[in-house]
Amino acid sequence: MTGRKFLRIGLILIIMSVTTSLVSAATPNDDRADELERQIEELRTAMAELREAGLAEERLAEIERRLEILAVEVENLKVGEAAVKATREGEHSGLGPAASKVYRKDHGVSVGGYGEALLERFDDTRDDGEESGAVDRFDFLRAVVYFGYKFSDSWIFNSEIEFEHASTSSGGSASVEFAYLDYLYRNQFNLRAGLVLVPMGWLNELHEPTVYLGAVRPRTENRIIPTTWRENGIGAYGAIGGFDYRTYVVNGLDASDFSAKGLRGGRQKGAKAKAEDFAWVGRLDYTGMPGLTAGLAGYFGDSGQDLEDADGDSIAVGTSILDLHVEYRYRGLELRGLYSRAELGDVARLNEALGYTGDQSVGETLVGGYVQVGYDVLAGRGKSALTPYLRWERLNTQKEVPEGWSANPANDEQLLTLGLAYQPIEQLIFKAEYQNIENQADTGVDQFNLSMGYIF
Amino acid sequence: MRLVRFFVLIAVLLIGGATGATVLITVEEALELAFPGAAIKRETLFLDENQRAEVHELSGVQTTSALATRFVATNDGGWVIGYAYLDTHLVRTLPETVMVALEADGAVRTVEVVTFREPLEYMPREGWYGQYVGRELDDDLALKRGIRPVTGATLTARATTEAVRRVLAVHKVAGGGETQ
Repeated sequence: MTGRKFLRIGLILIIMSVTTSLVSAATPNDDRADELERQIEELRTAMAELREAGLAEERLAEIERRLEILAVEVENLKVGEAAVKATREGEHSGLGPAASKVYRKDHGVSVGGYGEALLERFDDTRDDGEESGAVDRFDFLRAVVYFGYKFSDSWIFNSEIEFEHASTSSGGSASVEFAYLDYLYRNQFNLRAGLVLVPMGWLNELHEPTVYLGAVRPRTENRIIPTTWRENGIGAYGAIGGFDYRTYVVNGLDASDFSAKGLRGGRQKGAKAKAEDFAWVGRLDYTGMPGLTAGLAGYFGDSGQDLEDADGDSIAVGTSILDLHVEYRYRGLELRGLYSRAELGDVARLNEALGYTGDQSVGETLVGGYVQVGYDVLAGRGKSALTPYLRWERLNTQKEVPEGWSANPANDEQLLTLGLAYQPIEQLIFKAEYQNIENQADTGVDQFNLSMGYIF
Repeated sequence: MRLVRFFVLIAVLLIGGATGATVLITVEEALELAFPGAAIKRETLFLDENQRAEVHELSGVQTTSALATRFVATNDGGWVIGYAYLDTHLVRTLPETVMVALEADGAVRTVEVVTFREPLEYMPREGWYGQYVGRELDDDLALKRGIRPVTGATLTARATTEAVRRVLAVHKVAGGGETQ
């Protein structure tokens, strides 16, 4: 073939490429970037042949210049416009800023999800030898879809819609687990408003099944920090130096559903939440050293929500919850610890108002915590993980009760969990564990758990 | 009272935050951070099938683009002081772009995130990226080996580690180019 014919082919390819890139401008995506890359490769081949055919040097230079423009545009498509500016004057051979602007569309919607199924097999006998009467259970615990939307670089919406226990016709529920707007201002300071996750403990914010060891969540993070705990509120978060912080004002817990077993019933979950009492919750974590996270969180507010005693006086039920938490990771090793303590006021009046007698008292002080160790024996060998783990936990939801009431020794518990987690890839997890559960009433029932979980 | 304290805190943080960096930086800013004051020249590398296979082999990472953007940083004397590559990849369902800057000898100088489309909760803190500094392409450049994962952002940690491995392999295959 002659040089002129090659030139024609070359020019046709350039025109095709430019056309494609302009179409891409409306809906930038990876396929189009790939297609552009392929066309650039073809162009280069054609050009090499043109050069061999002895085409005029200046024409080749022009084609090369256009080729570079296309290469820059492909990169812009991939990286996203918000991040790309002309690097330095005279060194950015792409289109001018105005022409580039059409690419400045960003991905708006993000979708994700996670879920887990849990099989619990209970011992037939309790620690005291009596029949446990516990019925084994196989539950599709939760299926969650995540939707996010990026309105702009500053305004972002995030949400999780949770389907619990598979079917509303069999005791399941559909809930908005969180739904909030973020205003991103600086690394150091951002605002958040909506139905937010209360930033306490380990699992309340990070509760995807692949993020924690254990088929069943630690009991402390169920009864004292009632995961998944979400309330309506507004606040700020950010990172300063090696520290991460969150500070929110949320509607308070509702004490009318507190029980001897803890605070779990007091969550209002953003559903027509009583807003007579508000609470402040804050968290500070040190994350300055890779592998280490250590911090504390506190929740302070009243939970009475206008509950009244027999005399018609309102009961404040001042509620303070504190947690200290630490995690350390080194190679395959994963150490985690949590201590949590809650203190409640006006418990005697609350018990009377709720009709609780004897050992049904809500705890004046609730204490719980655990230490956990896991080691991924496949660490660093690809995407699989096989992690044996051990967790020791103690909790007492009636550490102190008011005078005139008694504590049920069954609420003073100790759990030892020995398990194995297998992740064929990072987004899937299978866990098997045995839990030795003891309590001061000697009525503990051990259990064996199997679970599967996924995230995407 | 509690609300008042909360808003006072917001005001204090606003004033403090006003002097800080933005959430994400541009490519230009990332280059300036990696090579302050250096002259930057942009290059496009075109990898053929054999080179891509070699990158795959060296890095252990499947996906490699045929097109790589490289920035060459030179000092006043015209000597090359380092290189920077852009790498765009999926995190969970959405992409991120990191800029991996290398020393002239090919070791990692800095890693900066320039685009992150996933929720920012999945983005590791700034200090975490310091783990890559000085790294070369060896077995220790892996999660749960030389690189510690981030609880709650494992997929990002994985994707970033793969990106750094990929960039180091591309640099090796494409060659360091001229030193002056």
